[in-house]
Amino acid sequence: MTVHLQNSLWKLRTSSNALYKSVYRRCFSTQDVIEHRNRLFNNEQKRQKDNVGRIEKIEVRYLGLPSNETLIMNKNLSTPFNCAQHFSEAVCENAVLALINGKKLWDIHRPLEESCTLQLLHFKSQDPNLVNQAFWRTCSFLLGGVLQRILKENTGLHLHSFPYPSLKSGSFVHDISLNVDNWNPSAQDLKSMSIEMMKFATENHNIERLEVSHEIALEMFKDNPFKREQLPNISNQNKGVITLYRAGDHIDISKGPMISSTKYISKVKIPSVHKITKEDSNLYRVQGIALPSGFTLSAYAFDILGQRAKRLNTMYLPVESADPIHSDEAPSMQQRI
Amino acid sequence: MLRKICKVNLIQNNLINSQYVIFRHLSAKAELNEAAESQEKKKTKKPKKALTDMRFKYPEFLPQPDNRLRNPVLERIMRKDMLDRRTQINIPEFYVGSILKLTISDPHSQGKTNSFVGICIQRDRTGLYSKFALRNVIDHQGIEVMYDLYDPAILKIEVLKLEKRLDDKLIYLKDALPEYSTIDVNMEPEILAEGGNIPVNDTVVKMKPFPWMQKWERQGLKGVEDLDKHLNLWRKQQKVKHDSPWDKYDLMKEYRKTITEEEQSEIFSEIFNRINKINEQHKQKAKAARRTISKPQNIG
Amino acid sequence: MNQAEVTKLMSQLKIALKPRHRNLKTPLGPEGRLDKLRQTVTALIKYERIELFYNRADEARGYTERLVSDALRYGDTHKPMMEMADYWLLEKQLVHKLFKVLCPRFENENGSVTKMFNAPRVYPADPKRAYFKRVVLELKGNPYPTITPDSSYRNKNLIHNVLLDAAMKDFYAEKERQQQLLEQEQTLNSVEESKK
Repeated sequence: MTVHLQNSLWKLRTSSNALYKSVYRRCFSTQDVIEHRNRLFNNEQKRQKDNVGRIEKIEVRYLGLPSNETLIMNKNLSTPFNCAQHFSEAVCENAVLALINGKKLWDIHRPLEESCTLQLLHFKSQDPNLVNQAFWRTCSFLLGGVLQRILKENTGLHLHSFPYPSLKSGSFVHDISLNVDNWNPSAQDLKSMSIEMMKFATENHNIERLEVSHEIALEMFKDNPFKREQLPNISNQNKGVITLYRAGDHIDISKGPMISSTKYISKVKIPSVHKITKEDSNLYRVQGIALPSGFTLSAYAFDILGQRAKRLNTMYLPVESADPIHSDEAPSMQQRI
Repeated sequence: MLRKICKVNLIQNNLINSQYVIFRHLSAKAELNEAAESQEKKKTKKPKKALTDMRFKYPEFLPQPDNRLRNPVLERIMRKDMLDRRTQINIPEFYVGSILKLTISDPHSQGKTNSFVGICIQRDRTGLYSKFALRNVIDHQGIEVMYDLYDPAILKIEVLKLEKRLDDKLIYLKDALPEYSTIDVNMEPEILAEGGNIPVNDTVVKMKPFPWMQKWERQGLKGVEDLDKHLNLWRKQQKVKHDSPWDKYDLMKEYRKTITEEEQSEIFSEIFNRINKINEQHKQKAKAARRTISKPQNIG
Repeated sequence: MNQAEVTKLMSQLKIALKPRHRNLKTPLGPEGRLDKLRQTVTALIKYERIELFYNRADEARGYTERLVSDALRYGDTHKPMMEMADYWLLEKQLVHKLFKVLCPRFENENGSVTKMFNAPRVYPADPKRAYFKRVVLELKGNPYPTITPDSSYRNKNLIHNVLLDAAMKDFYAEKERQQQLLEQEQTLNSVEESKK
């Protein structure tokens, strides 16, 4: 067993946070990698902000409660969150995702580029499907960050990717690669993973979005063979632009959109890890379920969801093998991410 | 960063509503869009004025207002019967204060009729039970007769003088000087121009000295002279004691005594066409009768 | 049995109404009753949600409905209406609220303008008042959280509902598959038996 996780849950709960970190967090040498990525991210973010130059004004027509208003905002600087700040704290709290011109989804912390109408969506909107998907995508994204935090250096962890979110499949997933054969985490390990993810959520990071060039992305993910492989494909589709997301210090490639902050994730369960390749490489699929804050579900109902998420989620498997458990619906890389 | 809030195209209405909106509604109402905003809400239809104006002309078609005693089916059947009766006899428009001549068959001697001329002092009850009282003074003797409006024994109702008085009931004429309720039995009918307003007779009557049948001073009558000169101190005190100036503010008391506008319009729209047709028929019949009389006769 | 008094036209109220008024306990008689109701109506217009005993609430409800419906009918340029508002609203700034806030709010309202809900009895109860029903009386469109549960939670598209729905479908699909397998096995067995 190469993974060192908390064996007794009560210990984890009672131990102080600092102690917990010192004992159970691995000493990153990949910490350097993460720092490097963040440095690049920060530099690029600053550069883009400085590039805005002379501030131009745009007119944003806000639709919704408390009243429809027209706001004069700064082009390429003001975000939908800034618009919400004009109204009240409650509006800011409820803004999970923005809808631009009635059709385009926009991240809450992404600067607006032109005059538009703005609607703010949240989990209890009339039609929350779009927000749900963004939530599911964000959970997949954060799961990667959590795994990076808790898996030890010698496991050789590389994040592979996470597929297009599908609520109906019953779980959000993140595919990872380890140099461990037949990793089979115990129930305690899985529980610790869930708790770690909930902790990550309570850290209340705003989720930032950044569009970078292919070269910078390649420099960021130079140590990850899978990302290196995927990047040319993605940049080809997006005219050389790679969209990155960051929560805390975790950065990953995703098409987006994502919800505005990690604080909206309340209840998380990681019920299973499946190996999805045969002998040659060790690709694992980590599956989980989560609920946004403000949703109460009985333990029984949540358990039903957990039981379902234990089975392998066969949506968009990254391997196109003739493995019997892998259905033939595994799409090409283009559909992933 | 400098930002300004502009309020554009805000309807006054919206603005006022917005003061009372809070964010718990975000779940239900956040999906507002401009299309929904521009959509006008359905407005409730206001009843037509012509219909509700019929309430003065045909008060007996409205049911009595006490909900405990109402029976919608019976009311409907009654309205039908009333209209049927109206095809047989012309029941003209009249009000309390109008002078009527009524011809009725004598129940005690077959083939003979009685007629009575008097001022209408009261209209009461509804439907087929509706009644009215006529009063006259004949040979220094006050006479009041109460007739059922839809009594099949009634042969003819003529309006000699169509007018209103200041009060809804003229029962106080019992205690007024007899000159106010003395009417010439052979009075000729006064014809009013059609479509004009009904004139209001603002006669203020003088009362006889005590004893009175009712405590008229407590009833707030308009068509009666100042009654204080008839009252002794005790009765004046009692008047003040029993006065209820708050009654006019008692909205629900008022409401429980009325038939609402919506109900009125429903009832009158039901009878509107038929009653107009019946009136037209009676008018034509009267015209034809007049023509036969006025024909000059060629003698020799 | 008398004829209805129809000189003044009134709109139909959209609430269930008792055929007769209730007397309220007061030494001052009918006038005292109206005084009590004036206080309640004023409070209702002012606070938009009040909690009180059922009898008084039910009475005051009718008066509030009438007042708003008349205000809508006559507007603020009608002298008798202003007099009425002046009588019923003890705080005079509420007259402005009636015409400037409530009238626009209820202009297109097809139902009643007030709502009444049963409220729990206070425990431990005041022995004198233990058996009195308590209610909450409110104006529609008030700024407080709803009393009835938020129906938006029944939305099928909410995340937990989507997840549970998918789980249910999955469960029944699995059940059907098991059933089919069982049937196939049985037919195979029967074929084999017939061969023997």
